[in-house]
Amino acid sequence: MSNVRQISVFLDNRPNQLKGVMAILKNGGINIRALSVADTKDFGILRMIVNDTEKAVDVLKDASYAVAVTEILAISIPDAPGQLSRVLDILGSENVNIEYLYAFTGASDKAVSFVIRVDDNENAANALTRGGIIQLTENDIAEM
Amino acid sequence: MERYWNEEIECMSREDMKKLQDERLVAQVKHVYENVKYYRDLMDEKGVKPEDIKGTDDLYKLPFLSKADLREAYPYGLLAKPLSDCVRIQSTSGTTGKRVVAFYTQNDVDMWEDCVARAITAAGGTDEDVCHVAYGYGLFTGGAGIHGGSHKVGCLTLPMSSGNTERQITFMRDLGSTILCCTPSYAAYIGETVHEMGLTPDDLKLKAGIFGAEPWTEEMRRSIEKSLGIKAYDIYGLTEISGPGVAFECSEQSGMHINEDNFIAEIINPDTGEVLPEGEVGELVFTSITKEAFPLIRYRTRDLCVLSRKKCSCGRTLVKMAKPMGRSDDMMIIRGVNVFPSQIETVLIEQGYSPNYLIEVDRKNNTDTLDISVEMNPDQFSDKVKDMQDQEKALAVAIKTMLGINPKVHLVSPKSITRSEGKAVRVIDKRKLIDNPAK
Repeated sequence: MSNVRQISVFLDNRPNQLKGVMAILKNGGINIRALSVADTKDFGILRMIVNDTEKAVDVLKDASYAVAVTEILAISIPDAPGQLSRVLDILGSENVNIEYLYAFTGASDKAVSFVIRVDDNENAANALTRGGIIQLTENDIAEM
Repeated sequence: MERYWNEEIECMSREDMKKLQDERLVAQVKHVYENVKYYRDLMDEKGVKPEDIKGTDDLYKLPFLSKADLREAYPYGLLAKPLSDCVRIQSTSGTTGKRVVAFYTQNDVDMWEDCVARAITAAGGTDEDVCHVAYGYGLFTGGAGIHGGSHKVGCLTLPMSSGNTERQITFMRDLGSTILCCTPSYAAYIGETVHEMGLTPDDLKLKAGIFGAEPWTEEMRRSIEKSLGIKAYDIYGLTEISGPGVAFECSEQSGMHINEDNFIAEIINPDTGEVLPEGEVGELVFTSITKEAFPLIRYRTRDLCVLSRKKCSCGRTLVKMAKPMGRSDDMMIIRGVNVFPSQIETVLIEQGYSPNYLIEVDRKNNTDTLDISVEMNPDQFSDKVKDMQDQEKALAVAIKTMLGINPKVHLVSPKSITRSEGKAVRVIDKRKLIDNPAK
């Protein structure tokens, strides 16, 4: 099991909200490895993987942000047609329901990485391992 | 030509009216003192005896009642008649926890309906009319009160209740409704729907509308009159005192005549309780002098208002009240429902949210909107959008259960709603509900 911790931050649907979070991370010397923003009519949810999860959570909470830490799966697949489709086939055959996923770039330009959020990490991780999909650890990502 | 339901009363000389009020007040104070322990205690506390009240000039000596008293005395504490003499209960719309309930004897119902009959007659209603009642029926006094008054006048009464607007209009057209009774915002919505259905006022027989239970402006009156091809009359009332018909508008459309043979109106300074002279703006206070089961003395309505005894072109001598200009408390009327910010606060705390919130009320397409921004609970924060939206929905349902109306709930960041040093600004009411007093 190589679950990776993701930080989520609640954002108001107003100008300068993302900027505020970034300023705090900058002051904390935090580097972001992967990031996505989900938006609704009322609010946004910023999701990211950083090089120092504990510190990022501390500085954000100190600034009164609502922060959640969730374990997600991170994978690395070849940057080629049909690769994501293969991953989805594997998860689909195990009836894994994906809440969301987003891509991020890794160290190599021949591979692409994905964050995958599912309800049952263990089941999904086992299915990916059986299917020969490379899973990344938090350390892998931090060292990218 | 002006028609009256009860010309003798409606056009009575001031002198005779005062005499009638004096007699009725003396008897009422005695009745209440003898039968309502709650009010007797208030009088004793103030050192006032029924003998001290010889007429309306002594009214100021009596203690006030407020909504808080009504809640405290819930349900039977202000009842002045045995339940076996009562025939009806009505209740106010959505109030915190304990509602306010009012009791009626048959005489009380008759008096109330008589007041409504005066309003319908003043709006030109006769037994030839088809009275279309689109106020809500039920505990709310709107439906029942207008319905009874319509019967009294002898109108053919259509007990439609509110909602299902296209059916309302179909019935209106097929059955020839001539008088529409509902909230002004619903009347405006019906007007729009009529046009959306490809109809014009000429397809309907409507001639008048009697609209109340919420604030509305002259501008809205003109717009409703135009869209429905009618003359629109205002009506005022409150459950605590009886229901719609406490005061009603005549052909002059410049304020509402108070049925002062039943209800004595006073204007007081809301801060000191001191009675203000005619023409000054203050809080409207009512004393019901004929009610048997639930007779309230000096009940503070919290409506800010002004009274006028200027001669009215309709011939009625009943004192006139202007449209209420606001509230001396923080109550809002949203879609005809009384809403206090404290009710919303109660729900938030129950649901584990911080009591920092912002209520925004607006009127869009003639319907009131209620938007509530609530600081999200950091402990319940989830990375999943659906979880957060479920929290918004659950909170909206809880607030709907409390208020009876659907709000839109918006979660915002913790500590993002401005804390103010003094009195928190919890409500932004963007509706234009009262006319510019400068005009």
